[in-house]
Amino acid sequence: MKRLPALLLAMVMVFSLAACQSQKPPASNTPGNDPNKPVSEQSADDILSTKEYLKTYKTSFSSSYASFNYFSTAYATVRSIVANCIDGLVEPDIYGVYIPSLAEKWEHNEDQTVWTFYIRKGVNWVDHTGADTGLSVTAQDFVDGIRYIGDPLNGAYSLRVVRNLIEGLYDYYWDLDDIDCGDKTDMTREQALARFNDMVGVKALDEYTVQYTLTSSAPYFLSLIESSMLLLPVEYDYAVAQGEDFAVDNEHMLYCGGYYISHFERDKAITLSKNPLYWDLEHITVDTVEYQMIPEGTTSLEMFKRGEVDSVSVEAEEYLTLQGTEWANGLIPTERSLSTNYLWLDFAGANPEFNTFVQNENFRKALQYSLDRVAIASLRDPVNPQRILRGTINAEDCIYDSNGMDYTDYPVLKAIKETDYNNPKLARQYMETAVSELCDEEGNIKGISATQVDYLPVGTFSVDAKLPVTVIYVGTDDENEIVMAQLMKSMVEEAIGKDLIDFQIVCFSGWTYGTVADPLNYDIYFDSLSTGYADPSGLLTRMTTDGAENVGCYTVPEYDELVDRAMEADTFEKRLAYFAEAEAYLCNGAYVIPFISSLRGYYMTNCMPFTSPLTLYGNSKFKGTLVMDRPLTLAEYNTLDAAYELARAEALKAD
Amino acid sequence: MRKYILSRILRSLITVAIVFVAVFMLLRLMPLSGYFPQEILKETDEATRMTYLRNQGLLDHPLLQLWRFLQRLFQGDLGRSLTVYPKVPISTLLKEKIPVTAAFGFASMVTGIVLGIALGLLMVRYKDKWGDRAGTVYILLVRAIPSLIYLFFIQVWVSKWFHLPLVFYKNRPSSWILPTICLSLGSIAYYALWLRRFMVDEENRDYVKFAQVKGLSKKEVLRRHVFKNAVIPLTVYIPTDLLFIISGSLIIETLYAIPGTGGLLTSAIKAQDNNLVQVIVLMYAVLSVVGVFLGDLLVAFVDPRIKLTEGE
Amino acid sequence: MEQEKRPNALLDPLKFRAAVYDQIRSEDAGFSNYSYWRSTLRTFFKSKAVVLLVGVVILLILMSVFYPIFSDVDPTRISRLPLEWNLRPSREHWFGTDTLGRDIWARAWYGVRNSFLLGFAIACSDVGFGTIAGALWGYNKKLDPFMIELYNIMTNIPSTVYLVLLAYIMNTSYLTLFISMASRGWIVEARFFRNRILSLRDSEYNIASKCLGTSMRRIAFRNIIPHIISLIIMEAALCIPYSIGAEVFMGFVGVGMPVDAITLGNIVNQGRASFTLHPYQMLLPSGILCLITVAFYVIGNKFADASDPRNHV
Repeated sequence: MKRLPALLLAMVMVFSLAACQSQKPPASNTPGNDPNKPVSEQSADDILSTKEYLKTYKTSFSSSYASFNYFSTAYATVRSIVANCIDGLVEPDIYGVYIPSLAEKWEHNEDQTVWTFYIRKGVNWVDHTGADTGLSVTAQDFVDGIRYIGDPLNGAYSLRVVRNLIEGLYDYYWDLDDIDCGDKTDMTREQALARFNDMVGVKALDEYTVQYTLTSSAPYFLSLIESSMLLLPVEYDYAVAQGEDFAVDNEHMLYCGGYYISHFERDKAITLSKNPLYWDLEHITVDTVEYQMIPEGTTSLEMFKRGEVDSVSVEAEEYLTLQGTEWANGLIPTERSLSTNYLWLDFAGANPEFNTFVQNENFRKALQYSLDRVAIASLRDPVNPQRILRGTINAEDCIYDSNGMDYTDYPVLKAIKETDYNNPKLARQYMETAVSELCDEEGNIKGISATQVDYLPVGTFSVDAKLPVTVIYVGTDDENEIVMAQLMKSMVEEAIGKDLIDFQIVCFSGWTYGTVADPLNYDIYFDSLSTGYADPSGLLTRMTTDGAENVGCYTVPEYDELVDRAMEADTFEKRLAYFAEAEAYLCNGAYVIPFISSLRGYYMTNCMPFTSPLTLYGNSKFKGTLVMDRPLTLAEYNTLDAAYELARAEALKAD
Repeated sequence: MRKYILSRILRSLITVAIVFVAVFMLLRLMPLSGYFPQEILKETDEATRMTYLRNQGLLDHPLLQLWRFLQRLFQGDLGRSLTVYPKVPISTLLKEKIPVTAAFGFASMVTGIVLGIALGLLMVRYKDKWGDRAGTVYILLVRAIPSLIYLFFIQVWVSKWFHLPLVFYKNRPSSWILPTICLSLGSIAYYALWLRRFMVDEENRDYVKFAQVKGLSKKEVLRRHVFKNAVIPLTVYIPTDLLFIISGSLIIETLYAIPGTGGLLTSAIKAQDNNLVQVIVLMYAVLSVVGVFLGDLLVAFVDPRIKLTEGE
Repeated sequence: MEQEKRPNALLDPLKFRAAVYDQIRSEDAGFSNYSYWRSTLRTFFKSKAVVLLVGVVILLILMSVFYPIFSDVDPTRISRLPLEWNLRPSREHWFGTDTLGRDIWARAWYGVRNSFLLGFAIACSDVGFGTIAGALWGYNKKLDPFMIELYNIMTNIPSTVYLVLLAYIMNTSYLTLFISMASRGWIVEARFFRNRILSLRDSEYNIASKCLGTSMRRIAFRNIIPHIISLIIMEAALCIPYSIGAEVFMGFVGVGMPVDAITLGNIVNQGRASFTLHPYQMLLPSGILCLITVAFYVIGNKFADASDPRNHV
């Protein structure tokens, strides 16, 4: 019990350091001036040191944890458990700066293609009772992780990034697959498996040194370690012995993180217990984490009020009903979302009307300027919708150059951020220009004839090759998304005019992506993309003309060229500058239309904020989390936030 | 009699076989992309997906898949779930889920029968008076109000008034009360409605009038004669109901976070989890055939007037 | 013949007097002018509740037919001003507005109209096909094993399986919705009618009538068909609220109607999401839904009672 006060003291020091510097904050940033931003009368360190902290954290999950196999799970939710149970090589600290985890130190060569990690000694795997298995975590376990995913029979998912990045892995994987198919007969499966050590760019140099050789320069490799579960270690012999049972429940897996899964009841409850052998035990502040399944959103709010869970997200609508109640001062706006919502335009679809128009930049801009983004954002946050707007593809506040400048503040992107896209008049003008270019006097669209558009399974539509242009918007049958689509329809038709555009909504349940987006069964499609790691390349290289994420099949050589230039740039700043230009080119040409972020609403919590690692790309960890016996208030949050932001800026500069 | 039972079993087997094969083949008509959730589709390329499907045996000819499934089935292996609970053995899943749902199902069935019969009797006893009217109003309300509305009301407000937990916990018996009540609301109405109907029908029979003319009190007649005869048509459904306590209610299990079988079939179908769907369909088909058969036997047993075979 | 009967001594001769024998009227007494339909209707309307509920249904139908014709409120008009979303009931919007500022009062009536149309269509198809199949099934012994098998199979295949497939190959439209909802109901109805036809055919009064030499044709037209028709009316009445409820499930599986379609099921579904926050949005649509269910249910049952000749006395 000595550890907690020690930790608290450390935290208080961090915050008071920040507080010292906040003596003369820039005037515009003074939180007290903004009536919407109440601040606490206590200082940040007072808030921290005057609270009672609990040993158990109660939380909930809404969809089932089907399996814990971190290599082959489809579900991002599994990460939130795995992140706490299996440690990676590095982890972020509370400011998002990477600090040692299972690797004590690391180094890379000049062009950042060879990364060497020195593994912490004396870390052992434990089982689901917390007992020591005697197996230690070695460099070989990291090599074996790659070996496991490299075998197609193990069915690892989300392979693309890692398979392409680690040298030799791509060929190794497809060789094995060819053997399985019977296409390759010049070697046996055993022979192919034996080539792993020579072929694939991951090696155990000695028992505690692992080296990754990459196919291209990867300054973002540490953030990839945080985000991708494929780079986690595995006790290979154990996993192979378990076969298909590996990690289907808590009893068939081993743990090396801060917690182990001590109790698992499918679709009902999961309990994480503190790993008594953990190497960083002093930072484990919560002994037990109790998850319980709450499938209905409204119930979880009620459960929070009754003290049965420690945090809850509050949707826009619920936010309004909580105003004026005792809970009103505990509503904290959700901080950040790396995910951007945008509209895909289909450049190769079967609808001749839309297809003719979408090639025309004026038409795309007409669409871009017809959306009242604030009104759309109001669906998610009726009080402060502005914070949800996002015009760029990559999120703000997550990619910084070495001077600490935000990537989205590079001039070309800043201009986009500052543009007001709600301009119905301009939208109409753009549309009229497009019409004059593409239609004859009678309103017939040139070069096409009336036809039946086959977008099955979404549906079939008949188009008459005359104005108005038929646009088929395809979305999921999620109630919220339908409402948003209906709102967009009314905006587009009002701005551009029903005489020129006929916006049809089709909702499609189930297999949306595979049956709608991939085979181009749409004209406009709503989707989201998120920045995966601290580099714009994560998204932008996938959006090139032949990129995997170019679902709309546009062809923009200028963009491709900018991306290539960025990838070849010799400094990180230049790289970001080129990427910014590329991103701006795509947005300004309205090839895709990003419009809001995926932020939704508010939350209430009993946790002290900014005490656990800032995991931007992976899932949050409970390391360091402080659980209070009562909800955090917004005033306290704002005070802590102000102190934290200063401390973070300092920490990032020091990094 | 034996001949009758044998032919019934044979016919039931044919029904089950047709149902199973039909569902099995229908499932194989689904698009291949349906085996992957959206996150996966975006992260993988076509070739990797095909590799995965081939390794799972999903690209083989449907008849070959059927043959393989049957082979495994006779070895007692139900296979593993594909998408809903990736790689989890289906037998494990069912072993975990069925007891929970069955416990609630059984409790609510007992509640439903006991309270339903009580309500039905009350309605007959006070026919066209307050008892009958109150019962009718209850039956109408349960049928007419969209169930989500009153279920939600019960969960949030009734739990508050009686200080009951909002969701189900295995180790807190007080949390079992509300789900059981919610589950039995419908069956109470069902049993009460039909019992009343059958008893009123019986009451118009000549033997009842005769018994009353003989001087038996109304209560006596109801208890000794009418009730017994009116319950017979209800017993047909009891075996089916009893067997189907293992299929839970999607809405109630979701509301109370009960880890049962309620949404299993629907979510398996929507996620295209063929292996899981075919096992559940097979199970339900067998149960329903067995249930109908047992129902017929039970009726023949309680009502000596009914004979299953003609001319015996 | 002219001789007067002697009045009973106990009766006051001022108040009573003997009737004169009238041959025509005495003949008349032997003949009842019983009409099945008139008696059924008379018994049916004897209950005040029934009169009230029939009135309610007629009112709902009239309202749903005439409101869309005469009202100038566009039920699909979306407001772009977040201030006009989720309004509470006011003079302008009697039952408030929904998530996108659409008038709930107007939407409800459009919804009732569409749901009624759908419900009537389903009722016609289920009961129509059901009666025909049931009659064939009941009268043809050879068909029996086949139909029972078909019934078992159809009721055992989970509808979700083929509905999901259907959603995959067809457009979202009212037609798809109709096909998916009507795909199974008929066999259930067929079984019901088969059982009723068999039990009517073999009932004692018909056997007695047959023994007295009445032709089968006459029995069918006088005894069986009138009764079946009243059963048809009852089943159809019960079918309508059921199909309105089933529509919600179809949306869940994905064989829904077009997004912009307004039906009661759709409205209730949308309101459900924000039920705790804006309960008044659910008030009108679910109130109407309740009313329809109760009304048709009671009407159906009372009609079944009234159609039983034993209740005509």
